[in-house]
Amino acid sequence: MRGVRQRWLGRLILTLAVAFGLLGLGGCGNNPYPGADDSVKVRYGALPEAPKTLDPAVSYTTLEHAITANVYDTLLEYHYLKRPYELIPGLARELPEPREIPGGRIAYRFHLRPGVRFAEDPCFELGEPGAKTREVLAGDFAFELERIADPAVTSPVIATFAKIEGFREFSARLAALRDAEPGFAERRIDAQYAAAGGIEGVRVQGPHELEIVLAEPYPQLLYWFAMPFTAPVPWEAVALYDGREGRDFFKDHPVGAGPFRILHYERRSRIALERNPGWYGALHPEWKAPGAVYPSQGEPGDAEAGRLDPATVGLALPFLDRLELRIEKEDIPAFNKFLQGYYDASGIIQESFDKVVHEGALSPAMAALGMELEKSVEPSISYLGFNMNDPQVGAPAGERGRLLRQAMSLVVDSEEFARVFANGRGVPAHSPVPPGIFGYEAEYRNPWRQPDLARAKALLEEAGYPDGIDRDTGRPLRLSFDLGDPSSRARLRALFFVNAWKRLGLDVEIAATDYNQFRDKVRRGAYQIFQWGWIADYPDPENFLFLLWGPMSESKSGGPNTANFADSRYDALFLEMKDRPNDARRLELIREMRGILERERPWIELDHHESYALYHAWMRNVKPAGLSLPSAKYVDVDARARARLRKEWNRPVVWPAWALAAVVVALVVPGIATFLRERQ
Amino acid sequence: MVEPHVASNLVVAVLVAGALFVARAVRKSDLWRGSLRELARRRPLALGVVAIYVLVALLDSVAWTGGGAVGAQGDQLALHEPRSVVDRLFPGDFGERSYSVPLASAEFYGGAALRHPGRHWLGTDILGRDILHLTLKGARIALLIGGFTSLIVIPLALLFGVSAGYFGGRVDDAVFFLISVLASIPGLLLLIVLVMVMGRGAVQVCIALGVTSWVGFCRVARGETLKLRELDYVQAARALGVSELRIILRHVVPNLLHLVVITFVLLFSGLVLSEAILAWLGIGIDGSWGQMIDQARDELSRDPIIWWNLAAASAALFGLILAVNFVGDAVRDVLDPRTLREDR
Amino acid sequence: MLAYLIRRLAYGVLTVQGVLLLLFVLFFLYATPTEMARRAVGEKAPPEVLEQWIVNHGYDRPRVWNPANPSDTLLADHFRRMLSFDFGRSDADDSPIVERLRQGVVPSLSVTLPLFVGGLAIGIALSLFVAYFRETYIDRAGVVLCVLGMSVSILLYIIGGQFLLGKLLRWFPISGFDPQPALVSRFLAIPWIIGLLSGLGGEVRFYRTVFVEETSRDYVRTARAKGCGDGRIMWRHVLRNAMIPILTHVVVAIPFLFTGSLLLESFFGIPGLGSITVDAIHGNDFSTLRVMVYIGALLFVLAQIVTDVSYTLVDPRVRLE
Repeated sequence: MRGVRQRWLGRLILTLAVAFGLLGLGGCGNNPYPGADDSVKVRYGALPEAPKTLDPAVSYTTLEHAITANVYDTLLEYHYLKRPYELIPGLARELPEPREIPGGRIAYRFHLRPGVRFAEDPCFELGEPGAKTREVLAGDFAFELERIADPAVTSPVIATFAKIEGFREFSARLAALRDAEPGFAERRIDAQYAAAGGIEGVRVQGPHELEIVLAEPYPQLLYWFAMPFTAPVPWEAVALYDGREGRDFFKDHPVGAGPFRILHYERRSRIALERNPGWYGALHPEWKAPGAVYPSQGEPGDAEAGRLDPATVGLALPFLDRLELRIEKEDIPAFNKFLQGYYDASGIIQESFDKVVHEGALSPAMAALGMELEKSVEPSISYLGFNMNDPQVGAPAGERGRLLRQAMSLVVDSEEFARVFANGRGVPAHSPVPPGIFGYEAEYRNPWRQPDLARAKALLEEAGYPDGIDRDTGRPLRLSFDLGDPSSRARLRALFFVNAWKRLGLDVEIAATDYNQFRDKVRRGAYQIFQWGWIADYPDPENFLFLLWGPMSESKSGGPNTANFADSRYDALFLEMKDRPNDARRLELIREMRGILERERPWIELDHHESYALYHAWMRNVKPAGLSLPSAKYVDVDARARARLRKEWNRPVVWPAWALAAVVVALVVPGIATFLRERQ
Repeated sequence: MVEPHVASNLVVAVLVAGALFVARAVRKSDLWRGSLRELARRRPLALGVVAIYVLVALLDSVAWTGGGAVGAQGDQLALHEPRSVVDRLFPGDFGERSYSVPLASAEFYGGAALRHPGRHWLGTDILGRDILHLTLKGARIALLIGGFTSLIVIPLALLFGVSAGYFGGRVDDAVFFLISVLASIPGLLLLIVLVMVMGRGAVQVCIALGVTSWVGFCRVARGETLKLRELDYVQAARALGVSELRIILRHVVPNLLHLVVITFVLLFSGLVLSEAILAWLGIGIDGSWGQMIDQARDELSRDPIIWWNLAAASAALFGLILAVNFVGDAVRDVLDPRTLREDR
Repeated sequence: MLAYLIRRLAYGVLTVQGVLLLLFVLFFLYATPTEMARRAVGEKAPPEVLEQWIVNHGYDRPRVWNPANPSDTLLADHFRRMLSFDFGRSDADDSPIVERLRQGVVPSLSVTLPLFVGGLAIGIALSLFVAYFRETYIDRAGVVLCVLGMSVSILLYIIGGQFLLGKLLRWFPISGFDPQPALVSRFLAIPWIIGLLSGLGGEVRFYRTVFVEETSRDYVRTARAKGCGDGRIMWRHVLRNAMIPILTHVVVAIPFLFTGSLLLESFFGIPGLGSITVDAIHGNDFSTLRVMVYIGALLFVLAQIVTDVSYTLVDPRVRLE
């Protein structure tokens, strides 16, 4: 009898021991990367979500551009260091000047550098058996523009490129050919485009000469030529990677002419880029092309930050061998991994802000770890909007509505909001145009964005809502704040504004739905107050002021003017302003438009987002950019220092495991012993 | 349109009346009175805790307007807002600017003096709201989720289960089909889609939770009804030509009541815990402990740690569920004939 | 027996049809094709591009009734494709759904399978242990611990686990996944531990009840009177006879091994089937969502049939008609 029980006990203890052992063997320690990497220059980063597509004609988020901008080189690029943003030639030899041609049209002529080659890829076999790559030609840029026009590609920027002459006609012809002939859509893609005749305003004048003809002036076009939308794309890649017979889709298999190429693409977990040995900067360092050497000039502050180190200036790019990106959906674990040294750079989550930043600078604890803090104001605006079609708060309410909006605008304190929710980060916004963009004036103060409760109450009374009471009902005025995010975080932020309006006596109800239903409400016009934001596509005020332009209104054309603001004077001013160069008259126009917005208050401007980025001591040459910039080629890493510091920071704490085991044994054994004794 | 707080007052009145009615019925029946006494003997502490939660929830459900003070900034909202008994325990305009530690006299960030120093027993959250107040209000939501949903689940399950078990044949097949279809869809998925379709109000969330939880009890009810149908006196009643409805109501359902009680108690804790997950997904009920936990989830990562929000909501949730679980165990022991058999 | 099987299978097919119908109704009540397009193409896309997407993906057809061609509706297409297992491409990013399923199965199984097996083994072992030492303080303490364990929300387990094991003690990475054999257990350690602990309370209590009920039966008393060792009784007789309720409980959980644990995968960043499902919900990806639910339903129905059949193997008294 006794023997059986002892065997039981023995088995139990054995199982526990084995379990512990397995856990220990399985690799205690929190390093998520395999193997040693101190001899290779790798940069580790985290993306908050998986990229949907790497197709340059379609991808439109900063996240996706973080990858595509490094893989697809473009004709023009942004200068890495200079602010305000400046364009430099990339694959083009120089920046083109606009040329007027008869018919009120504008032409831009690009001279492509000869001898630029695509990254090696099996797809080039299609064009020439045995070929692993080929030269980039003007036709490849035309091909990409035709892709944007192709209805099957559903590129989100058609409206912009439709300014090119013959763009829409090409789309129509292509669609018609596909409808008319059943087998047409099965033809090779470049043959299809050729059959449709190409885009009239995109003229290939020679293997390295490309001319773009616009139907009307659009000086901002050049900025689009610094974005992946206009990168050269080889037809072979699009033709081969159609997803059939186990082949990749082109959107998951980029083939570009950039300084990096894709090494590993597991969209939802790991994306790796490696140095492209066929890049023109690596093959032809003697060109000293502006996009292939480290810049020698920057803005004030770059030298102090170590970004203009004479040893680095003029060196050939890129410095890194590899880029490793992981998808981290939750920001707290991502930040913790950053602190452990497993990511090289990170934003600062709100929760850890006070540990990291003291009075606007790095805290002593962080500075001791060698970290660096980079602040930059992004070209963006976040705002609360009123639906100007609404009978209570919008234009139909006339003067009453305007006074109500003005009063509500006067009690929202952007600085307090920033203090509570963003640790004081962010530049309070007084107009739609953010810092760094022409039209922004730092000393300008919007009189309706300086909190003034007394004045707001007076306005409210004038509007017919004394102390917030609606005279018609005898109860506080009921409004609805339509939130498109049901999460607790969003709700808390919305409550901040609701509490502010409560002080006026207004009863604002939060109508939170998920994003779907919110867009549906917007479409039906069933919304009053909402919160929105916009990040610049390119550094021009037109890209912000168009958000309040009448024809762009949601109710008229489904455009981004969700406030449905439509003021005839504003609209006229906008038309005059949008194509002007950055001169005194343009500033005058912008100021007048600003004045209209002040009075009418379709928006309550909140802030321009300020990003605080943390970098570890082993990173060099980092400079945050608010626009899509191929920044990976400028950055450098001291891999040995990193390996050393990681090990130092991440020793596992093992003693609690033993303590726990001891406690369990201590609790259980006496009980068992007593029982066995009793049973005898 | 009836004001929500008036509806809530009516519901409380109905509940209290219903409770009195049930109390009288229990006193008359020996079986139930004995069971109740046995229950109180086994788990007095847990029952007491549950009673306290119920009391707080009821107090928070009785609300009326008026009697409030004009706000510090002269806003008249307080005069027109319905405030419950629990709300009135706290002074009007009790909020601060942002976080503060329990019983502190200064703000957590920045150190500015609080408006009501030392009066916030459990501290304040990111918007400066008193956490004790929020926690107390959460009790009503938790009981609403558990109680109201069970009120949906049980009649629904009884209706379908008893019909299926009693009438058999086509009815049974149809009900069985319905159960299978619902059970085959992963519960969480069905919940999410239902709430997104119906909207995010408290009632809709309860209905969605109800729809995804009635299958289990339906099966049990069906099984028991099958057994009851074969009993002698039921057979006799049918032979005598007594109407089916009467048989069901007088013979079948009363014999299922002990199962109803057990199920109610066991279902309760499961439902309240599921709501926390819904809150994390963004489809929970506003003001619930689950939502407080979700909001506070990131606060643990702050440095220095902010723990009081999460601790209060977790403790309140844990306390209720633990008490209900203990009571549930005892109820099952007392009422389940099978477990009674094994009693030594 | 065969007739029974065939009937059950037929019934299962009917159930699955019901599931597909319900799914269709629910989804299209909730998401409009415009929203699906917006999710897929992006926020900044103008309406004409959204329209084009809708046409490209075939969502411009009528939903239920098409007078011109009754079989060319979204509903008919839905049934046709699901029944022929033609899963097609995801609405969110046009990647083939079968591909995604293949990629997601391994991570999901690597979380749920060890959890299931380990949970079962440890759960049964602990409950046998506790039932064996019935009525001592170990048993009482065990039951109380179980109730305590069941009363904590899984959310708190996850938050606490990540905080304690990942941040304070630095034993394992807080989240993430890497399929390489050397690293995989490091990433899965916290999900395993949390999954185990959070489910243990309920499991142990359930099994304990079953075992206690069995040990109170007459044959156990007889065996003990005859001089058979306690341990032997537990192992050879009690466990085997308690298999039926345990089996029902266990087999029904098997389908969910494949569909993955939605919560664990989301919190710990594991790219399995569960995380695909959550993404599909948030991204309005109807084509992926219906495949996940369909597969879940199929597996569930199969599991039911297997359970019923396995009853005959385990308990000779049960006979199926």
